[in-house]
Amino acid sequence: MASGKKQGYSEADGILLTLVLILAVFGLTMLFSTSEYNGRVRFGDSAYYFKKQLFAMSLGLLTMYLVAGMDYHFFIRLAPAAYVVSLGLSAAVLVVGQEINGSRRWLNLGPLSFQPSEFAKVAVILFLVWQIQHTKSSTSGLWFMGRTLASLLPVVGLVGSNNLSTAIIILGIGVVLIFASNSRYACFLGIGAAGVAFAVLFLAAESYRLERLAIWRDPEKYEKGFQTIQGLYAIGSGGLFGRGLGSSIQKLGFVPEAQNDMIFSIICEELGLTGALILILIFGLLIWRLCVIATQCMDLAGTLICTGIMAHMAIQVILNIAVVTNTIPNTGITLPFVSYGGTSGVFLMGEMGLALSVSSHKQQLFTYTKG
Amino acid sequence: MKKSLTFHRKKVWLVLSICSILLLGLMIRLVCLMGFLSDHYYRKAEDLHERERDIKAERGKILDAAGKVLADNRTVCTISVIHNQIKEPEKVIRVLAEKLSMDPGQVRKQVEKVSSIERIRTNVDKEIGDQIRECQLEGVKVDEDYKRWYPYGDLASKVLGFTGGDNQGIIGLEVKYEDVLRGENGKILTVTDARGVELTDKGEKRKEPVAGQDLRISLDASIQEYVQQAAQKVMEEKQADRVSILLMNPQNGEIYACVNVPEFDLNQPFELNTEQDTSGLSQQEKQDLLNQMWRNPCLNDTYEPGSTFKIITMAAGLEEGVVKEEDSFYCPGYKLVDDRRIHCANRRGHGSQNFVQGAENSCNPVFIEVGLRLGVDNYYKYFKQFGLLKKTGIDLPGEAGTIMHQKNKMGNVELATVSFGQSFQITPIQLAATVSGIINGGKRVTPHFAVAVQSPDGRNIKELSYPVEQGILSEATSRRVRNILEKVVSEGSGKNAKIEGYSIGGKTATSQTLPRSANRYISSFLGFAPAEEPIVLGLCIIHNPQGMYYGGTIAAPVIRRIFENVLPYLGIECSYSLDK
Repeated sequence: MASGKKQGYSEADGILLTLVLILAVFGLTMLFSTSEYNGRVRFGDSAYYFKKQLFAMSLGLLTMYLVAGMDYHFFIRLAPAAYVVSLGLSAAVLVVGQEINGSRRWLNLGPLSFQPSEFAKVAVILFLVWQIQHTKSSTSGLWFMGRTLASLLPVVGLVGSNNLSTAIIILGIGVVLIFASNSRYACFLGIGAAGVAFAVLFLAAESYRLERLAIWRDPEKYEKGFQTIQGLYAIGSGGLFGRGLGSSIQKLGFVPEAQNDMIFSIICEELGLTGALILILIFGLLIWRLCVIATQCMDLAGTLICTGIMAHMAIQVILNIAVVTNTIPNTGITLPFVSYGGTSGVFLMGEMGLALSVSSHKQQLFTYTKG
Repeated sequence: MKKSLTFHRKKVWLVLSICSILLLGLMIRLVCLMGFLSDHYYRKAEDLHERERDIKAERGKILDAAGKVLADNRTVCTISVIHNQIKEPEKVIRVLAEKLSMDPGQVRKQVEKVSSIERIRTNVDKEIGDQIRECQLEGVKVDEDYKRWYPYGDLASKVLGFTGGDNQGIIGLEVKYEDVLRGENGKILTVTDARGVELTDKGEKRKEPVAGQDLRISLDASIQEYVQQAAQKVMEEKQADRVSILLMNPQNGEIYACVNVPEFDLNQPFELNTEQDTSGLSQQEKQDLLNQMWRNPCLNDTYEPGSTFKIITMAAGLEEGVVKEEDSFYCPGYKLVDDRRIHCANRRGHGSQNFVQGAENSCNPVFIEVGLRLGVDNYYKYFKQFGLLKKTGIDLPGEAGTIMHQKNKMGNVELATVSFGQSFQITPIQLAATVSGIINGGKRVTPHFAVAVQSPDGRNIKELSYPVEQGILSEATSRRVRNILEKVVSEGSGKNAKIEGYSIGGKTATSQTLPRSANRYISSFLGFAPAEEPIVLGLCIIHNPQGMYYGGTIAAPVIRRIFENVLPYLGIECSYSLDK
């Protein structure tokens, strides 16, 4: 294997890299436009959010560069440790976390703050791949599926206790990876049905979740539908070509925390339907490219890593846009590369680095076998 | 090391396909939201972003028959503060309190209140507004608008009415013709952020106000002024509670003057016109007094007309043919109706007289006899035919209806009292309008003030028309009534209204108000001229005069004085004496 390493090395995927860079630049531009008002009003500095995000994205770029140059198997070996660390951090944040906007999701590290749940997503992808790679039994067995899902429960529980959305994303990634590693189809219909049933029970168990459903169906009637309705106003007032970059009015305090989860609505308002569709297309291309890298990889571990990253990206983009357009009930999910969030930015770029690493090592197994 | 197998690839492609379908679904959702629903959300967003400030429209003027302005506008200022634009709150508080002579504590409360805009005071004189503007205080807004101004003060106060804080009509013509006078307010639309701060780079949209239309009325300020003086004079001389005088054209219903003294100052409509001390009164009691002051007794209140109503009995009797001028009657000073003895004003009796003499003497038994000859059914028929049961339709708000016995409850005694104007109530305007119809040849006219609506530049003129009901009385009977009433003035109880050189018709009345024991009277006189073809009809009603209270003695001379001046003014030549 070691001998094949050099031979199996090829150029990293240029298309993926280009798409990531486009998204990063676009994201920073929109973040600056969206957060300018809030920064000016709250901190007297138009670039307050932008500067922090720029720093995070630079750090992310560096991370991506370093990770892309390394063999991804190195990270798989680290996976069990990373999983344990993420459990520890997720537990720690519940105790000593910093509360922002009513949620304890951040760990303070001097001047920086760190969101363990973002780390947990990467750790889960790697840990699952590690499990699938190292299991001796068939990955098609029910026992394996059950065991693998069960291994996720601790982190899902810890993260989900204060961040339901991220827990859903982690579960989603898990299901996609197990699905991909399993040759069967029919039993996943059963899992799907069980998932729906669980969701219904889960919603019915707490009345406030049902209230969310009611708000979703008619947001104008409820005070808590404020954010949703303001997002819809922003989206609707964009029209075909938007008000123009920087000209959103809804970002002027109408959409609360416009630079966070609801940033897509401001993109719609400023760039119109055209801009919004192009952005979705770029995300679509990114997901497609991750799929291509996954399927071109001869090594199951590489395939699964890319599949996990693809699942992560797809779930977050789809859920975010679905929430902002009030297609599904409101839940807090950020838009990758665009929404404000340093930890998320760094780890997303890291994941892209991992995918680039897979792309540049895709022929490894092939050449190894040949050689 | 595990190899990735074909099924792994298939599954990854399947995941991609599902994701693509979902993304496509979201794109379609966006097309719906931003394409089809875009207008809806855009409008809602605009509503949210735009702050509206009204620009008051200039209210239309009210002009008298000669074009004199009775209700005008003056520029006044509204002072407001915008909390988050204030840089020097202390200076703002000091200047505003000083210039507006307001309590600094009150100003401070409003200045420090966190709101997008706070109105400090409206209707500030333009001069003071300009002074405040010159101080150039940031966050203080001086907006000009219009306030109603009545150049003649208390002239025709109960007719014209006045406007409230939003320039809306409150009583009188101002409220009746609100739609004509009001105009359409303009708007300034500015875009603001969520805190209400205006975004200067977005500009402002303006919708210019549309000025209200002017209203031209038949009331003549010169006549009204003269009539008001006459009313004032008699009220003071007779120490009466109040005096109402109506002057109208019986041919078309146009009202020349409508005086109700005491009037009140239209520029200070919330101050009582009496010396009464209101400090001890509750808010409700004060409001009641104001409401009382604002009433127009000519149409808002009813009274017992007394003998002036004999004109109606006379017209009905002549028209029905139950009485002729030369029919002879005997008055012993009373008349027995069923088992009731109804007295004549002259308790000693008028003795033997014909119908014309009975009218000249205003003899109750004569008219009771005419009423009884008519009978309830006939009497009621004419009552209805003359239009007494419905409102006159005068273009002022709050006209009171006639209070009359129900036909089925009307016995001979009731019929007898109604015949000489007692036991029921009507409004003065109803009496004037009904008599107008009787003496003008039988046309029931609608008494009114407004004659035309015109654009502020006086070009676009729309004449107003009012319903006229023809044939309430035959032309011949109308002429006979005029003749008899002319005799009443030239030879009978109305002789105090006689003017050399003019033929005047008229009827006096003196009625005792309820309760009869209080010895309070209403003295009135209804006169018209020229008697052959009346152009002006005057009705003078004096409430609770002291001393002499006969209508012929105190009310008839008032109408005479008015006619002496108004007839030449209206271009009616003094011709009678030349014929003689």
